[in-house]
Amino acid sequence: MSVILGRLCEGFIINCQIFGLTLVFSIPLGLLVCFGSMSRFKPLSWLVKTFVWIIRGTPLMLQLLVIFLGPGLLGWGTPWPAGNSGRLMAAVVAFVINYACYFSEIFRGGIESVPRGQYEAGQVLGMTKPQIFFKVTLLQLVKRIVPPMGNEIITLVKDTSLARIISNKEIIMTANEYAAKGLIWPLFSTAIFFLVFVGVLTLLFGWFERKLDYFR
Amino acid sequence: MAILEVRNIEKHFGNTQVLSDISFSLEEGQALSIIGSSGSGKTTLLRCLNFLERPDHGSIAVKGGVIFDASDPSTQSEKDIRQKRLHFGLVFQNFNLFPQYTALQNVTLARELLARERGGENRDAIVKAGRELLAQMGLADRAYHYPHQLSGGQQQRVAIARALALQPDILCFDEPTSALDPELTGEVLRVIRSLAEQKTTMIIVTHEMAFARDVADQVIFMDGGVIVEQGDPREVIDHPREERTRQFLARYTEN
Ligand SMILES: Nc1ncnc2c1ncn2[C@@H]1O[C@H](COP(=O)(O)OP(=O)(O)OP(=O)(O)O)[C@@H](O)[C@H]1O
Ligand SMILES: [Mg+2]
Repeated sequence: MSVILGRLCEGFIINCQIFGLTLVFSIPLGLLVCFGSMSRFKPLSWLVKTFVWIIRGTPLMLQLLVIFLGPGLLGWGTPWPAGNSGRLMAAVVAFVINYACYFSEIFRGGIESVPRGQYEAGQVLGMTKPQIFFKVTLLQLVKRIVPPMGNEIITLVKDTSLARIISNKEIIMTANEYAAKGLIWPLFSTAIFFLVFVGVLTLLFGWFERKLDYFR
Repeated sequence: MAILEVRNIEKHFGNTQVLSDISFSLEEGQALSIIGSSGSGKTTLLRCLNFLERPDHGSIAVKGGVIFDASDPSTQSEKDIRQKRLHFGLVFQNFNLFPQYTALQNVTLARELLARERGGENRDAIVKAGRELLAQMGLADRAYHYPHQLSGGQQQRVAIARALALQPDILCFDEPTSALDPELTGEVLRVIRSLAEQKTTMIIVTHEMAFARDVADQVIFMDGGVIVEQGDPREVIDHPREERTRQFLARYTEN
């Protein structure tokens, strides 16, 4: 049993890696996508919005396959290194693109929800654009995006197990191998890993929301 | 010499002409009231003075120096506009206080940022000046309150202190009491009245006719984007010469 739990832990480390790397890269990329979709240069905003629509409108599982297999099938040669590291890399790239698009919409909603008057009040007080952004609107924006970001990030925790579709040996895949041999309990016990992880995140986001509760 | 000289300002949004041929001047230490019905262009005029909108035509001079001229692109560089804005202060109808800062921080923030940029004043001096301004607004005991913990009247007084902190040459008010419950307008009007007594140069857009008559040295009545009548408040409000002014004022005395 301890051997099995050890294997499950190894699998869950893959989930955590995908989770961490996706967060680190998709948040800045999401900001870029957000600025692109809000750009006053119409062709750019149109292009970015179409891209976001495609990514949000198709299953992540399909995107994983396209990213991993697509280049090879198109005869470009696969960009992914052989073996496990290549599979992990492909999974992270697919997750980053997918989540950047979701985050960009949250960021856009946040930016648009800060009243125009806040920006104008800063201008009239002689502040520069960066000063207005960092000193006036940023914190209001953060306060507004924390709850939807929390939701999205919790979804990401569970989505990481989709990486098994391109043979990443994450926790569900590992447990499934036991199930195929007739041993069912490892599969059900994976729930505990996810529940604990999500529980910690929930506490963290709750704490952060309370931190920002001092203003409206 | 007039501290503010506005000449032939015009502004349109798309095809609608919102301001046409607006000219007036204001002497230092005087208060100007602008009255007029909804949609007559009062807010747009104040926004032009504060460079939140750019007039399509005309010029604005402060203390004899032209700070904006629609026909002279050299007066319109993005960089200078920030400096030029500081000639004016603007108090918004709906306050627009920064919610994440206390009353005192709202008042000191911009001045601290400017001081950091230019050197000079230290932080303690700015905070001290901020406290004095709040005290002057009758809010000495509210310095550490956040905007959502203050009543509308208190919020608007914080906003006035915030605008005064940068010591603008001309302080503009856009219907400063319109968003307030009737019982809270008095405290804000009292503060503006005391600023007038201290000879603060002000432009006040207001629907409070009695207040405009008492406090202002000059009144402008606007309708459809033009100045219909201007002059001494007792003349314009009590003995209007123009038919349009009479109709507007009659509507006011009815309600
Ligand atoms: N950004 C804008 N785009 C298009 N039209 C505008 C814009 N801002 C104002 N207007 C129009 O300009 C006209 C004047 O508006 P303004 O807000 O200056 O009037 P006002 O005298 O302040 O009215 P109120 O007493 O209701 O505040 C209105 O018809 C308004 O619809
Ligand atoms: Mg208005």
